[in-house]
Amino acid sequence: MSATPQPSSPPVATAVPRVMSGRPADEPAGPREMPLQFTGSAAEYFRIWIVNVCLTLLTLGIFSAWAKVRKKRYFYSHTRLDGTPFQYLGQPIPILKGRIIAAMLLGLWYAGTHYVVQLLPVVGVLGFVLAPWVLVRSAAFNARYSAYRNITFEFKGAYWSAFKMLYGWAVITLVTFGLGFSWWQQRIKQYMVTHFSYGGVRGEFGATGRQFLRTYFIAGLLMALGGAAVGMMIGAAAWSNRGQAAAQTHFLAFTVGIYAMYVAVFAYTRARIGNLVWNHTQLGPLKFQSRLTARSLLALYLTNLLAIAASLGLLIPWAVIRTHKYRAARFSVMAEGEISDFAGRGATSVQAAGAEVGELFDFDMSI
Amino acid sequence: MRTAAPNTLAGKFYDGQVPVAVPATLIWSGQNVKVIGAMIALDYPVNRLRVSPRVGTADRFVALPGGAQLQCADSALLDRLPQEGKTEGVVAWLESRWQVALACLVITLGGLAAGYFYGLPAAADRIAARVPIEYEHALGNQALTWLDANEWFRQSKVAPDVQEELRAGFARLADGLPMAAHLRLEFRDAPGIGPNAFALPGGTIVITDQMIDLSESAAEVYAVLAHEIGHVERRHALRHILQDSVSAAAAATLTADASTLTLAVSGLPVLLAQARYSRQFETEADEYGFTLLKQHDLSPEDFATLMERVSAKRDPQTERSMSFLSTHPVTADRIARAREAAQQP
Repeated sequence: MSATPQPSSPPVATAVPRVMSGRPADEPAGPREMPLQFTGSAAEYFRIWIVNVCLTLLTLGIFSAWAKVRKKRYFYSHTRLDGTPFQYLGQPIPILKGRIIAAMLLGLWYAGTHYVVQLLPVVGVLGFVLAPWVLVRSAAFNARYSAYRNITFEFKGAYWSAFKMLYGWAVITLVTFGLGFSWWQQRIKQYMVTHFSYGGVRGEFGATGRQFLRTYFIAGLLMALGGAAVGMMIGAAAWSNRGQAAAQTHFLAFTVGIYAMYVAVFAYTRARIGNLVWNHTQLGPLKFQSRLTARSLLALYLTNLLAIAASLGLLIPWAVIRTHKYRAARFSVMAEGEISDFAGRGATSVQAAGAEVGELFDFDMSI
Repeated sequence: MRTAAPNTLAGKFYDGQVPVAVPATLIWSGQNVKVIGAMIALDYPVNRLRVSPRVGTADRFVALPGGAQLQCADSALLDRLPQEGKTEGVVAWLESRWQVALACLVITLGGLAAGYFYGLPAAADRIAARVPIEYEHALGNQALTWLDANEWFRQSKVAPDVQEELRAGFARLADGLPMAAHLRLEFRDAPGIGPNAFALPGGTIVITDQMIDLSESAAEVYAVLAHEIGHVERRHALRHILQDSVSAAAAATLTADASTLTLAVSGLPVLLAQARYSRQFETEADEYGFTLLKQHDLSPEDFATLMERVSAKRDPQTERSMSFLSTHPVTADRIARAREAAQQP
């Protein structure tokens, strides 16, 4: 034993510089690849899922806050980087409060879009004012209550900076008839990455608007070609087989065709933008590698969709687990040098309301 | 398989200052816990520790005083230490058993079916009975204003004396009904919509010029109006809103996990579920209308003949094969039921 026991005092013994694995410091320190491992299983997650769905149903939705914590904990603690699992620290009661606020806003939106047209301007203004708040607060909440190696993440965005970033580039996108869209998206991702920190080290972002444009241009092209192909096929079918009875088959074919194209374009942008963002992000000595491919993501989505539909939803846990597995398998972290510049700090608390509003409105800003 | 819990646990120690994992061992001695590792030798009273809840087979975290933490594989020893939260332990216990999962599956499916087929319609019916129809007026007026403003409806071209006659007949039908004070008849020209009639929230009933043109007698128009009065009397507008909102919210909550493709996963089932509710309301209004017609010495036969003329404009084959998506019952069935009602005394 190298140190005398010091009961109940915070240990400071580990301040010796060390590479993340705990490898002795005298070994040559080249870039080291740390794969992301996902150790969850569909059978195990099915039980967690069905128990939480059942309790949510029996409590008329109130338990959903607890269910969310359970699910988050499951995915975090089964995702390991360099032998250490991530840790979810969110608590159900703040999440429940946030969910109540979010549910009221969602109710207002639903009423406005479905029944009471007069509400729409109110909903619009509220959405406009709240969007930057939701963006900043949900990132802050998720970061604050996520930890790795006993150090929490942090997101330090402010309302006004988010407001300017979000709407400034939205206006430019509008006046350039959509040409600015790629730059707008680039600014959003840049904002998210550079306001994010771990152990006092901020994220750096190197992807350019031009790189975003490449992906969105091809996505637009795919959409145009796919739309034309679906249209031509249906036109040809309608020409050779006229009559009322055929109309519904054409309608179905059209819907399915358009939807398949939507999923394909969705998978393509998801894979390409995900790779682009991660591969140009740096966190101190850490770089990231994301190797998603549009083709396998598309295959994954389509098979998930069929399985969920055929099983009346019972295969949702299986689909979620295999998607996580794939994403983790295609992700790794490259560590270059030492990580003594990461340092934990006293964490402040963040309220859940913004995060819950973001979640209920599917305001997905994750990269 | 209860075995005696071990007294030691191997894990990794994190001091909370730097993200470095140090192999360490936790030694439990009843009152105290020692954490021993390279350059670490700590001693704590047991009651100052907090163990994170069990999640499947994943590693757990022991929070140590002063902000440090020990990560280790799940073990029975961890259950003897103070837990971070009490309630989650119960949920974790439930989650670990297949029997419980199976029971939850049965309860969930049973609960959803019972709620959908019985609970929700019954609850909506009761709520609607307690909410005065006055609350719907704003909604109905707004809908009519919107339809007028957006060119769906134009001013009716039906002759004033015909309108007068139909209004009088409508008043006779409405006379004495609980909602009589709220029932109001409006005529509108709607070339974009065709022969149709609507019961708006709040009791306003709109009949299109196209429907009046298609009818061959005032009795046929009354047959349609009796059906629409059924929608108002049975408070279908409010019940529709309640049942649709709750089913949409329930589907969104339950499929939240598959949210990447939410629309495809929950969109179609919700649409089908809501369409079935809508068809039930139509059938209920049909039956209400038939009874009302017979009370006024009119015959549901008039409803049948008018519906036949309406459906002649559509393709019956298409209608039947797409019926599961339709918000209205298959017309042939409605006509048959009307004839059946007409036969009965």
